[in-house]
This record gives sequence, structure tokens and C-alpha cells, in this order.
Amino acid sequence: MPLNEPETSLISRRSLLRGGLSLTAAAGAGPLLSACSGGSGSSDGVAADGTVTITMWHGQADQGKATLDKLVADFQRRNRKIKVNASSGGVLADSMLQKITTALSSGQYPDIAYIFGPDIASVARSPQVAHLGKFTKEPSLRWDDFYPAARDAVTVDGEARGFPALVDNLCVAYNKKVFKAAGVPEPTASWSWDDFVATARSLTNPSQGVFGTGWPADGGEDCVWRIYPMIWDAGGDIVNKDGTKVAFDGDSGLQALTTINQLGKDKSVYPDTKPGSETMYQIFSNNKMGMVATGPWQLPDFVDNKTEYGVVPLPTYNGNPVTIAGPDTWTVFDNGSARVEAAVKFLTFLTNGAQDVQWASQAGSLPLRNSTAESAGWRKHVSSTTGLDVFSQALGYARTRPTIPTYPKISQPLGQAIVKMLLDKATPQDALDEAVQTANAALATG
Amino acid sequence: MKRLFGETPDAWGFVLPSVVIILGLSIVPMIWSLILSMQSSDLVTPARWLGLTNYRVLSHDPAFRAAVIHTLVYTVLFVPLSIAGGLGLALMLNRRIRFIGLYRTMVFVPFVISAAAQGVLFSFIFDAHFGIANAILSWFGVGPQGFFADSNQALLLLVLIGLWSGLGFCVVVYLAGLQDIQQELLEAAAIDGARAWGTFRYVVWPALRPVTIFLAIWETLQALQLFDLVFVTTRGGPLESTTVIVFFVWNQAFQLFNAGYGAAAAYVLAFTLLIVSIGLRFARRNQTEEVGG
Repeated sequence: MPLNEPETSLISRRSLLRGGLSLTAAAGAGPLLSACSGGSGSSDGVAADGTVTITMWHGQADQGKATLDKLVADFQRRNRKIKVNASSGGVLADSMLQKITTALSSGQYPDIAYIFGPDIASVARSPQVAHLGKFTKEPSLRWDDFYPAARDAVTVDGEARGFPALVDNLCVAYNKKVFKAAGVPEPTASWSWDDFVATARSLTNPSQGVFGTGWPADGGEDCVWRIYPMIWDAGGDIVNKDGTKVAFDGDSGLQALTTINQLGKDKSVYPDTKPGSETMYQIFSNNKMGMVATGPWQLPDFVDNKTEYGVVPLPTYNGNPVTIAGPDTWTVFDNGSARVEAAVKFLTFLTNGAQDVQWASQAGSLPLRNSTAESAGWRKHVSSTTGLDVFSQALGYARTRPTIPTYPKISQPLGQAIVKMLLDKATPQDALDEAVQTANAALATG
Repeated sequence: MKRLFGETPDAWGFVLPSVVIILGLSIVPMIWSLILSMQSSDLVTPARWLGLTNYRVLSHDPAFRAAVIHTLVYTVLFVPLSIAGGLGLALMLNRRIRFIGLYRTMVFVPFVISAAAQGVLFSFIFDAHFGIANAILSWFGVGPQGFFADSNQALLLLVLIGLWSGLGFCVVVYLAGLQDIQQELLEAAAIDGARAWGTFRYVVWPALRPVTIFLAIWETLQALQLFDLVFVTTRGGPLESTTVIVFFVWNQAFQLFNAGYGAAAAYVLAFTLLIVSIGLRFARRNQTEEVGG
């Protein structure tokens, strides 16, 4: 599943109540439950014959689940002494954070869970999240073989707390039909944000309902992460070194917001106010949108819809290529050293060579390891999908969001600023000032 | 033994399962959540005791105030409109005409559709650029509207969707109420020379009073607890114009990891709901006294 764009998860009131109920039941009944299971001695997961049983909540359905089941079976064949209980955990990856939060407070948690990149720092505040520092130093793990963006995503306060699960990044997909109809030349690899804005403007045709580009406008993470490459490029950052203040308060934030505001003013952007950003991609696929910043997960859909598309890297301000990687993690939880060790062994297998290729191909993501990217298997896969090579190359210079627990408190106000720009409801300076003030106030209170 | 368990100790065996369920799933969580609301807790690290600080901060929080205002605006619009609309439709459907069963079913169908499905459906209909709603409006010469992309319209649109699905329930309850009215009363009114309006004003409406009170309270409770529709259609946007209280609670607890603060907000809502429910009991009691006296 594409993991950066939050799917329109159909949370009904019932599931909120269920969430709230498990939230309350978790701590209410949690002590009781753990008291019940405490006596059985099952918690160390080691059977008399030395078999270690570990539990994995992967939050995957359909294709993702099928691939994982296969990989788990492969692993079982080679490792008789480790038994992996892999299940979705009863939720899709979207709701895993909620699920794991309640699981942690009840004291009954799995050994491995699929946690989104921006959430790992919040989860890792829990003492139950394993410290993997001593494992990642082992040469046999080849930790440095993981892409920097993938490594950074699982590293909190300098120590790995899980394994990279999936990595992707943002490039620009463009619709060849729309460009042709508008008589606009197709974009090239080295282009600027000014080019992007101008191209979007000349592609836009209100009478035919054609937009130059699209941007999620629900203020959620899928709306926010698209601005960071612009901020980095303009010399800013998300937070300062010690995490006490935002670092996009100066010209960098202003420049990025001004660019987005120009799109809003020109009405060349389709602001997708619906959660999930699906409409935006549908419009693109239906030849009513010229360009969209997206990740590799969207390519299979374009292929299925027979959209004639091409992919170029993100535009820049200064000519230095930069993009954002949206990695997700296999966060490891501490249920005793035997189980942590087994989990590390399993995850090492899962993220290695052939398995990495299989997993990345089906998820529509990118290889986690440098060595995988150079493998014959991956090269074959890349050549079968238009544009995938551009994403694969961009991984070399991709950066990630900081793994700090206060991140959501920065993301939410910045999201509101971006929506204001897209709907042209404020000046870039006012929107920036308000976002900076709100985020800094939240960071100050911790 | 007898003093402890009373005359019929066996009875405890029968009520025990429900007692355990109610204690475990209602009372304990409620108490725990009250304790949580007085802590600074993210559910992951050990909590810190704060006393009433969360409530104090809440009273000055502009985001919470906005959420309360949005919830109240929704309630004030939704409750009277659903009752008036429900009554109107019920009166129209309370007659013997051809296909009446079909009409009644059709009015009730939206109530059965889950809010999630409604949300998805309506966010396509009311898409500002590609939705069918703007296409229809343009036939009548009305310019394109922002709908869910317009912070002034989004909340009103939610009321509209709420009504579309909520009316069915009011209609069914009112229909039942209307059919409970004794035919003799209506005939007596007719003999006394009452016309349609007079019959409605002096016979039907008073007879429907208990039903109306029930509906008013029930719909208020529903409106104050609005969440699913918001979650699916707008996620509180655009520009936080549709953040309602329950959405605020969800955001605090599960997005920002302020579970204690979220629990405090939830308790403010729960307290309001409690007051509304007590209002219901009083209204009912007055009524039985009136009838009895």
C-alpha cells in the first residue's frame, strides 16, 4: 500500500468509540490482563526446546499481506528455531499508531510493528521500544548499506529503534496528453520552481476543467511533507538542532509559501480538500491535470489507467537537487532479549537482497539498500515501469523529517499555512508568522 | 452470609455477568478517563499528575473554544431542522396513498447508510471543481461554489448531509406517534368543526409532545457527538472551520499525544451530555405528572 498518503480510512464513529474504548479499557483493564497473563510465563516467548516465538503486526492487506506471508514462510523454512506470527494486527497501517499506543499502555504488545516514519519518535518515548544500537554495529548486518534516508528514519536520538520498512520519495509526474493538448514543452530534469509555476499556469484551462497541478489541502501530513524539499532547498530546515524552535521562520519558509500561494492565486492548482488525496490522482489519471508531485507508489495506478506519463525530479530554487523520503519503519519492541534478537534476525532477512526487491516491487516503493538498487532483480523491475528510475536515483539525495516526538506540533500549524496559500486566504508572510508562532509555542511547552 | 447476599443469594449469580460487563466496560474506563483528564499523559510514558490544570488550560484554549462553537452551531441548526423536517415529512406520509410503503422506505434508507459511506458520497457530489452539485447550480445560473473548499460553507454543508441522513429517523418516530393518536379524537375534532390547521394545532401537536421532547433530546445528543462525518469529509478543515469537540479530542489524544488533555475535553462533553440527559428525565417526569394530574 502507498504509505505516505493516508488512505481515506473509513473511520466511523464506531471505530472512534472503539479507539476510545480500547484507550480507556487499555489502562482500565490492562493491569488486570497483564496480571492474568503474567503468571503463565509466556512473556519471554522461549519454549522448552529453545524455539522463540515473535509477533509481528504489519498492517498490510491484499498484495502487501500476500508478499509478507510468502517472505515469512521463506524465513521459517530456513530458521526452525524462530516462529514468526505475522498478522495485520487487526488494523491497516493507517491506524497502527492508535493500536500500538493502546497496546503499549496495556502492556501486551507485539515484537515488531509497522509504524509510519513521522510517528516512531513518539512511540520510542516508551521504554518498551527496543534499543538496537548493539546490533546495528555488527558488520554482518551491513547497516550502512541501507540508504541514509532509510537509516535516519529509524534512528531516534542517535540510536536505531527499528528497521527501515519502506522508503519512497517525491518527484513530479506529468501527464503527456495534457502537455500536448496545451502545446507546452515537457519539463526537463533541471528546472526551477518558477518554471513549475509558469508551466502550471500555461497548462490550466478552466473552461475544460484542466488544472496545472494538484496539492492535498486537508492540512494533513500528505499536504505538509511536500513543502519540506522547498524549505531545505531555500536554506531552511524543519527544526533547529536542539529541537526547540522551527527553522523555516525566515526567508526559506516565506519563499516556499510564496511559491505555493502563486499557484493558488493563479488557480492553476487543484486543492484536494478531501482526506486521502485520491481525487487529485484521479484527476491526473483522467487527463485533467498536468503535473503532480508524487511517490513511486502511484505509478502502478497510472499504468493500470493507461495514463501517458513521464517523471522528472522536483524543481529547485538553487539548482541543488533535493527531495524528501517518506520512510516507514518496522519498530522493534522489547519483550526480553531472546525475542529482540529473534526479531532482529528476522528483519535482517526481510530487508535483505532478494526479499527487499520482492517487497519493494509489490509495495510500489524503492529498495531499502544500496546493494539492492544495484542488483539485477531490481534493475529488471525498474526497466519495466516508466519513471521508476528517476525515483530510484533521487533516493541518493533524499532527506527525511526529523525523528522527534514534537513533530506533529510543527506539522499541524504548517499544514494550516499551506492550506491558506492554496485557497489564497492569507498573505505568505501572515500565514508563516502564525504557523511559526503556534509551532514555537507548542515546542516550548514540550 | 444472609446479611451479605440478602434473601436470594442465587440472584447474584444471574446478575453477575452484566455487573462485570458494566463495571469493566463502562464504570472502570469512565473513572480511569477521569483520572487521565487530571494528568499529563501521552499513554506511552509515565503520567504526571496535574490536578485541574488541563481543565484550566482548556477554558483558555482558542482551538477548543472554536470546536465548541462549531459543535453548537451544528446542533442549533441540526436539531430544529431535523424535527421540523421530520414532522413535515411524517405528516405527508401519514395517509393512504398508492405506493406509500415505498415512499416511507425511501425516506428511511439514508438513515441506514453509514456515515463513512455518506461522507465519501457527498464529498464527490460537493467537489468544488468536478462535483455534480456545481453542475446543477450552473443550470440555474448560480456561480460555482467552494463547498468543502470554502471555510464559510463547510459546516453548513455538514448540517445538510446530517439532515439528509438523520431525517429518516425523525420521520419514523413521528409516524409511529401519529398512528398512536386515537381516531376518535380526530373524529370528535371534525364533528366540532375543526379544520386541518385546528386539528393539527389542538389535537395532533399536543399528542406528539412526548415524541417531540424525546426527539429533541436524542438529536441533540447525536449532534453534540458528531465525528464520523467530519472525519471522512473534511478532517476538521478547511482551515479548521469544522473541528467539532469529538474531533478535537481525537486530534489531541491520537495525533498530538496529549491524551490527558483530550480526556479533559471529552469529560467536558460528557458532562454536557449528562445535563442534557437529566433534562430529558425532568421533561418526562413533568409530563407524566401532567397526564396523571
